Amino acid sequence: MLFDESTLRKLERLALVAAQVRAGVMKGERRSTKRGTSIEFADYRDYVRGDDLRRVDWNVYARLERPFIKLLEEEEDLAVHILLDASRSMDFGEGENHKFRYAQRLAAALGYIALAAGDRLTLTILQDSAPVAQYGPARGRGHTLRLIRFIEEQEPRGATELDAALRSYALSAKRPGLIFLISDLFAPDGYQDGVAQFQGRGYEVTLLHVLAPEELDPQLAGDLRLIDAETGAPQDITLDGGLRDRYRQRVQAWRDEIEAHCLKRHINYLPISTQTAWDELVLYQLRRRGLLK
Amino acid sequence: MHLGMAFLTPLFLFLAALAVPILILYMLKLRRREVEISSVMLWQMLLRDREANAPWQKLKRNLLLFLQLLLLALLVLSLARPFLSVPTVARGTLIVLLDASASMNASDVQPSRFDVAKAGIRELVDGLASDSRMSLILVGRQPSVLASATSDKDTLRAALSSAQASQSPADWEAAFALAGGAARAGLLAETRIVIFSDGGLPSNLPPLPGDVRYVPIGSSADNVAIEALSLRPTGGGPQLFARIANYGEADRAVIVSIKIGERLFSAQQLNVPAGGAEELILPDLPDTPAVYSAQLSAPGVEEGAAFDALALDDTAWAVYQPPTSGRVLVLSPGNVFLEQMLTALPGLQPFRASPTTPLPEDPFDLYVYDSVTSTAQLPSAELLFINPISDTAIFEVGGIFTNTKLARVAANDPLTQYLDWSKVGILQARRVAVPDWARVLVSAEGGPLVLAGETGGRRVAIITFRLQDSDLPLQLAYPVLMANLINYLAPAQAFSAPDGLRPGETLLIKPRGGDTAIGIDDPDGERFAAQTTEAGVLFTASNKLGVYTVVSNQAVLGNFAVNLFNAAESNIRPAATISVGRAEVTATPREEVGQLEIWPWLALAAFALLLLEWWIYHRGATLPAAPGVLGWFRRKKSAAQ
Repeated sequence: MLFDESTLRKLERLALVAAQVRAGVMKGERRSTKRGTSIEFADYRDYVRGDDLRRVDWNVYARLERPFIKLLEEEEDLAVHILLDASRSMDFGEGENHKFRYAQRLAAALGYIALAAGDRLTLTILQDSAPVAQYGPARGRGHTLRLIRFIEEQEPRGATELDAALRSYALSAKRPGLIFLISDLFAPDGYQDGVAQFQGRGYEVTLLHVLAPEELDPQLAGDLRLIDAETGAPQDITLDGGLRDRYRQRVQAWRDEIEAHCLKRHINYLPISTQTAWDELVLYQLRRRGLLK
Repeated sequence: MHLGMAFLTPLFLFLAALAVPILILYMLKLRRREVEISSVMLWQMLLRDREANAPWQKLKRNLLLFLQLLLLALLVLSLARPFLSVPTVARGTLIVLLDASASMNASDVQPSRFDVAKAGIRELVDGLASDSRMSLILVGRQPSVLASATSDKDTLRAALSSAQASQSPADWEAAFALAGGAARAGLLAETRIVIFSDGGLPSNLPPLPGDVRYVPIGSSADNVAIEALSLRPTGGGPQLFARIANYGEADRAVIVSIKIGERLFSAQQLNVPAGGAEELILPDLPDTPAVYSAQLSAPGVEEGAAFDALALDDTAWAVYQPPTSGRVLVLSPGNVFLEQMLTALPGLQPFRASPTTPLPEDPFDLYVYDSVTSTAQLPSAELLFINPISDTAIFEVGGIFTNTKLARVAANDPLTQYLDWSKVGILQARRVAVPDWARVLVSAEGGPLVLAGETGGRRVAIITFRLQDSDLPLQLAYPVLMANLINYLAPAQAFSAPDGLRPGETLLIKPRGGDTAIGIDDPDGERFAAQTTEAGVLFTASNKLGVYTVVSNQAVLGNFAVNLFNAAESNIRPAATISVGRAEVTATPREEVGQLEIWPWLALAAFALLLLEWWIYHRGATLPAAPGVLGWFRRKKSAAQ
């Protein structure tokens, strides 16, 4: 089971911690650069002298005979978008190091924290060239179990066309906010354009780059024909110690490239190995990086 | 004479066809194991980088193919055994005689004549054709065959390495007999006998079958030798005589140093003319046993430095042993058998004294008590009791017994050697209680008949019956028994070699009764066990020059010297010709063609190539990545960390 008793308890603890963190944040601090024109009603508060009378909800006043002010989403809550890459390449890794299971737990953790903090959460599954499933927008703790069930049901399949999928989502999403993209970034067509679309719309993007230990340091040797899990494309290779070293260096270089690209564009980037305990990742590393607030 | 390169086993060249399977293997695709991974994206990127930045990767496979074909070529060539034709002294069936006589130790050619001869033979071995066979005979005091009719160059080289020059003259007749036998065993038409020598061969050697060739060794005749050194007893003390000969072409001044033991006794300068000799006489030397040595040196040159080409004859030794004989005192009422025997045995001076008078004051080596009562204190010398009639301080005498039949002789005792008691009859004997220091040599049912042992620092023998009461004096056993007993009690000198030995001469050593182990130490201290014969101990290993020591039961019996004293060896003038049969053989130039095989070099090159191929195969896998974008990122990352 993806979320057993202990996992759920860990999630609870995370939410509490996150809530404490959130409490210290002043309202309005996370206001996006672009103010949305769509006024999505979010919540009420009591009328206080000096408030703009146009913002009083007269229907409610008629019913309850008390004035209440409508609050706009921008001022009150945060939109948190979690994009989970569920392509076939995510179906890799042994046991607890399995990439998709890890990504699922990560997505669940971030979703839980967002719900517990009262944020407006949308969790979207990316496969092939488009989003294929979505949970939310949702707010409040009450959605936790349903969110977890939703995540558990997902299976990695299909090819990765990350750029197209991201672009598609960017067009359809309405509320800018935080975006967490959980993916292995094995996308031949790249991811940079899609991410740039989000930034153009005022989102704050965080790339959680998930790789299995076997992908970072493959324990293979000899004359091999490597088969791509998504495309079935073959690659003949004669693997010895020297070539393995060079591969390790190449992976690191690839991550360095991505990091440099993200740094230039103010994208948050976190390279992750599924060997790292996911709860520690969320609790410490994300906070240390300032990605969890 | 055609010199060039050819092959001994050209059929092996067909193995070059092995190149075909090598090429086929390279052309076949490798079988690969299929492995599914999440994405080949990074692998493709990696391989693109590698090919872009290391174009030699494409070449590497082809380079390895080339090296393997070259390796195959070298191995096939080695198997075909290519050779170069080189000039050599002889080919065919070779019988090589290597002179190992004393003169071959001369150092007029460096490092020595013998080593130069070995080098010449080694060249013959190197150039030996594959169809040639060589026998190697070492000509020393006892010629020996070091290698017999073999074409295996390693065997020949090993045999040659083990050969050493001797310090004695060579026995050329025996060597010629060996060579003749070896020649007749092979094909005479193709047989060549090659003699490596400095030419000191006797002139009356028999002819040899086959073609005889001679390789002269040596360049100079410069040698001064001690030809004689001896000591003779005279009235006033021993006199030393020495003779020094000069075989060189120039007069030489030499210093002759005479030492007694380690002490320098005399040093005189002699001027020895070329081709002549000078004598030295030293009279009135001390009359004590000593080892004398004579050493030649040049004036102004420190002692021990070589001053002529042959050092072996620059030193000589002589051992002086004053003559001795054992004094025997007989106390007897009269015993003609005894007196005759003592007079007959060598090395004895018998004296008679009356048993009733006191003992003379002069000490004797042996006292014989024959049928007397020895009431006086026994002298501290060796004692022989015959028919003791009363107790003495060292044994007790009982009554008379007549049961003297079935006599048993102790086996494996040197005192009963060659003793046959079977025909001896004895009327009666005294019953002597066997003391614990004695052993019974002959016993009868009634009691012991002959005993011997050591007590109180003296040797004692007892015959328990009166000689006249038996027929022992008329038997062969009598002189045997008496000689054994006297030899035990008063031994003569064990050996005699007043003038020393020449190398190869033998020495007879008579062990005294009781000497169970005779050993001879050579000048280097090596111990030889001597073989026993009926006459005594025969020593044959007199190969080294110097002073030998004879020991028995850890007591030194004496010394003797071995010297060269051989004019033929000391005359080291190299001969330009030698006489074989009626023919005169002169030095042989190199006229024939030998074969020098080169496959070892090819095999070595193949091995080096194998190492190179291994290195290239491994090196290609660990080439560093190219500079550029990737390298920049890597350096940035390591800087940040």
